[in-house]
Amino acid sequence: MNNDRVVSLFMENATKCGAETFRAAGLDEAQRLLDDLLRNAKSIFCPGVGEKERALVIPPEKREEDYREASVCVEEVFGAVAETGSIVCSSEGGRVVQAGLLPPHHVAIVPQERIYETVEDLFALWGQDIPTNVTLETGPSRTADIELTLTIGVHGPERLTIIVAP
Amino acid sequence: MSSSREAITFRANVQKALRDPMLREAIKRATDTFVTKRTEGIASLPMEEWREKASTIRMKVLDNLPQYVEQFCASAERAGAKVYQAVDAESARRTVAGILEDRGVKKVVKAKSMVTEEIHLNPCLQERGIDVLETDLGEYIVQLAAEAPSHILAPAIHKTREQIGKLFAEKLGVDYSDDPTVLTRVARNVLRTEFLTADAGITGAPFAVADTGSLVIFTNEGNGRMVTTVPRLHVAVLTIEKLLPSVTDLPSFVRLLPRSATGQMLSSYVSVITGPRKPGDFTGADELHIVLLDNGRWEILKGEYREILKCIRCSACLNVCPVYRAIGGHAYDSTYPGPMGIVLTALLEGMERAHPVLDATTLCGACVDACPVKVPLVRLLCRLREASVEEGFAPLLEKRGMSAYGAVVSSPVMFAFGQTLARIFWPFAQKLSGYGPMSRIPRPVARAFRRRML
Repeated sequence: MNNDRVVSLFMENATKCGAETFRAAGLDEAQRLLDDLLRNAKSIFCPGVGEKERALVIPPEKREEDYREASVCVEEVFGAVAETGSIVCSSEGGRVVQAGLLPPHHVAIVPQERIYETVEDLFALWGQDIPTNVTLETGPSRTADIELTLTIGVHGPERLTIIVAP
Repeated sequence: MSSSREAITFRANVQKALRDPMLREAIKRATDTFVTKRTEGIASLPMEEWREKASTIRMKVLDNLPQYVEQFCASAERAGAKVYQAVDAESARRTVAGILEDRGVKKVVKAKSMVTEEIHLNPCLQERGIDVLETDLGEYIVQLAAEAPSHILAPAIHKTREQIGKLFAEKLGVDYSDDPTVLTRVARNVLRTEFLTADAGITGAPFAVADTGSLVIFTNEGNGRMVTTVPRLHVAVLTIEKLLPSVTDLPSFVRLLPRSATGQMLSSYVSVITGPRKPGDFTGADELHIVLLDNGRWEILKGEYREILKCIRCSACLNVCPVYRAIGGHAYDSTYPGPMGIVLTALLEGMERAHPVLDATTLCGACVDACPVKVPLVRLLCRLREASVEEGFAPLLEKRGMSAYGAVVSSPVMFAFGQTLARIFWPFAQKLSGYGPMSRIPRPVARAFRRRML
């Protein structure tokens, strides 16, 4: 499968699982999408470590250093899996995997070249040298524990936005 | 669940369940929903191929379990975790309590784990003055109500939204609401504070990986991730058969478990956790302790019921079981209900206590068809029934009745005579019992089929 088809399969499956998905042609477009998304955000956590995180501008007056207090977490995640529509968060390189869990809105920037077709392809990357924490995140946090009524947003984010960018 | 050796009062439990229309409605709706979702979720997928592969991997684990246990311990320790091997429930409880007490832990948040239910961990920790909070919404509801889970995956399906609304109003002092969204938000707010102030997190693990020493945790709510990344101490309790040989075996089970359980393509969160936080890491607990528990598994592994250890606790067999669908989980009076639960209960708690639940199956085989790892549940259930008769647990009347029936049906003359007797005495038998099972047995025909053939 070529990269374009893997990207569209990923976006299709992620949408099915309740994520909002966007594809940016470049970082300029990603910035525009981000500006729209963050217009009404109260406080934003962004690690500012990854290459794309550093290239994107977060309104400084809205920045929040403590992810536990933020209403949005914007981060560049490790990658994604097309088969399951999951984004992949990894603890490699000092990443704070739980930063995307606590705020009610998770905005994940997915590097287009790191979308893998299958779960096998993903785990094959590390072999036995797997990072401390690898988390597959598929759609927002959900429960159906009360009368099987689907409710979005329990302990994790109620909104997951994915921007695929080159 | 009672820990006494007294036989489970299964018949009485069933009567109680069948007379509760609200419970029956809730169980029916839940199991119907799960079955429909699963059917939709697996449509047009090569399920048979996936099941065969998963079953083969699980058998490989059972055939080489000592080796995988050793490998897992070594890998997990290499990754920085501390591994403890516990023989039984008592030693597991003591180990966990010891770890927590040594570190002055006062409050623990827990992600849903059937193994910790099996060993009755919560009461033991509470007795020692440690606050234990379940964080899966269903488990939290059941814990607030001081009840036991009724389904291994959806613990609170037996409760209505009105009951939950009243429970929250009473126990948490919030305004009454029967809106699931509002109730969920209440639980989120209450538990958020608990996550941030807890000293330790306790989880189980549906899978653990021998070659990397990883634990794999699935949740939809995100509580599994909270429990394993927010508190500084993480204690995982799992039984030895949860191992998988390699991280390369994981994808098969990542595909099968959520689909078999809820029909989802994947649970919202799957975390693979390998050791505690290491230098340069900013994710994970500072300390990871893994309690690897036997609690009867080695014994099961040696015997003729070993294939039950392939079970991955997806609960697909519960949802399709006509008996479970009618009575729900509480009637089984055991940690594990449904077809796989009957087998596990008999093996883990002994025939003396478990023999009455062996009646809780029609042997229709729906469970076998649904099982993602091909556990031969019908064969195991039949064999357990035989064993219960051999061990003398069949009631005297049943034993006498069965030998009399055997004598009659093995002789054509006696059989014909029996048919005549049945026809003559039928009206009296109906009057005698009045209602109940007799009234549902069809009236014997005037001229039996075999006579027509003669």
